[in-house]
Amino acid sequence: MIKEDNIKLIFLSLSLIIIILVFFFPFFWIITSSFKSPEEIISTSTTIIPRSFTLEHYNKILFNSDFFLYLKNSLIVSFSSMIISIILSVSAAYGLHKLKFYGNKFVEYSLLVTYAFPGVILLVPIYLLFAKVNLLNSYFALIIVNVLFATPFAVWMLKAFFKLIPNEIEEAAYIDGASRYIVISRIIVPLAAPGIASVSIFCFIISWTEYLFASILISGDNLKTLPVGLAGIVGQYQIDWGFLLSGAVLASLPVIVLFVFIGKYFISGLTEGAVK
Amino acid sequence: MKKNNIEGWLFVSPLVIWISLIILVPIYIAFELSLFNVKIIGTSGKFVGIDNYIKLLGKSNFLNASLNSFYWVIGNAICQTFFAFTIALTINYKFPGKKIMANWIILSFIIPTVVVVVIWKLMLSSSSGVINSVLIDLGILDEATGFFSSPNKAFISLVLINSWRWSPFLALIILSGLNSINREMYDASKVDGANFIQQFLFITFPNLKSVLFVLGLVGTLLSFNIFDIIWLITKGGPSSATTTLPLLIYETAFTKFRISQAATLSIITSFLLLLFSIIFIKFMAPKEDD
Repeated sequence: MIKEDNIKLIFLSLSLIIIILVFFFPFFWIITSSFKSPEEIISTSTTIIPRSFTLEHYNKILFNSDFFLYLKNSLIVSFSSMIISIILSVSAAYGLHKLKFYGNKFVEYSLLVTYAFPGVILLVPIYLLFAKVNLLNSYFALIIVNVLFATPFAVWMLKAFFKLIPNEIEEAAYIDGASRYIVISRIIVPLAAPGIASVSIFCFIISWTEYLFASILISGDNLKTLPVGLAGIVGQYQIDWGFLLSGAVLASLPVIVLFVFIGKYFISGLTEGAVK
Repeated sequence: MKKNNIEGWLFVSPLVIWISLIILVPIYIAFELSLFNVKIIGTSGKFVGIDNYIKLLGKSNFLNASLNSFYWVIGNAICQTFFAFTIALTINYKFPGKKIMANWIILSFIIPTVVVVVIWKLMLSSSSGVINSVLIDLGILDEATGFFSSPNKAFISLVLINSWRWSPFLALIILSGLNSINREMYDASKVDGANFIQQFLFITFPNLKSVLFVLGLVGTLLSFNIFDIIWLITKGGPSSATTTLPLLIYETAFTKFRISQAATLSIITSFLLLLFSIIFIKFMAPKEDD
């Protein structure tokens, strides 16, 4: 018994070290690097503790670039996509879970299979479609696509949360004469609030990180999102690393801040709610 | 339970209509385009029937991209399964700092892909990258290597970067499966003398079936569709070694301006993915138990 526990302990510490090195160290590295002098970022001798400290990169990106314009665009697109995704997927997940109907399983599996299509496969035809209906270069073009990306998985997660709500609560409300609308707005939504919060973050992240469609469907500079703006710097022949790194840190900041406040719902939602 | 046909469809129809419109109409447009020879977007071409399909199947760049996509999906599946299980099984134990780690392990998934690209371009840079200098200090490498300079190195590096992004998210979903397993089963097996490898094989793994089904299906489709990480790092190179089908479609449409060819590629690819999904659901879907 003791021997097995020792092996476990060794395994545990080894994997902890690997996880920290692989999944956390890179963040430490880019954050500290974004405060280093340009010479230190590209110097060949690497030091773990930074030797220089400067705010020049942040100064440049905040006050000498289109950062705030891109930030505004990203925020508008991501929040709108999130809200529409949540409304559509709460309704669909409720229908799929509580109301057994003809075609139930077909809809459920088809939703998963929609992941077969998004991505580049749809890029060309969606571009042509949006060109026809005059949707290119609009926030709405990106919102339509983001909802498509976010909802299938959102429905799957929400269904798992709805399963945790005991049927008896709902049935008691019906006996008291409550309508379907009252039951959903007063019972289901409040009880599934942590779940809905975590699914919201998921939808927000999907939209916040989307690059491909944003780079093709938007051509005007004034509607570009943060990832597209950043990718422009990555593509340059002579990369200004300090500028790029501070941009990368700032572009990640909003999701990280969001995560600080409701991240625990997301994690517990993912790990405890999505049982099946 | 009694069926609620009308009400049920009422609830799912807004989403179903939204998704079908944005998938089916474009697919129809793509199919129509694939029967013509349109080159630049907006111009018209003449009807060529199934010519595009016949030409495409014989093309070496199509075969090359299909093979790359196949290796890409397999490589990612192996790496991500390994990383995700390592993370999930580790976090499932009690240790100091467990809460913080469980909360923040997902960092690589919540940041924009472009930031993932920035991180690894810097870390793996051949001139000043920290990975190169650490490997040299440890004596593993003699001199700095370019991680994206040779076909094999570029492909493997990209698989690892993409797995780095996705594994923590998958790990949390696996963790949800682990949490749903009845603790008593482990205690009972311990009394019977099972070690932790046997516990993993005979309790943990079988109980994760429905979680693994969704991960297997969605994970395969998602990693097949990865575009931005590859495009932003290697643009499909060197010498097309990292050109998967999504990159080939993009290149055909937006750098070579052969819209009909790109549409044909999209239709063939959708067909292959649909076929895969149907077969996967047919044979791997867990039996209903509720």
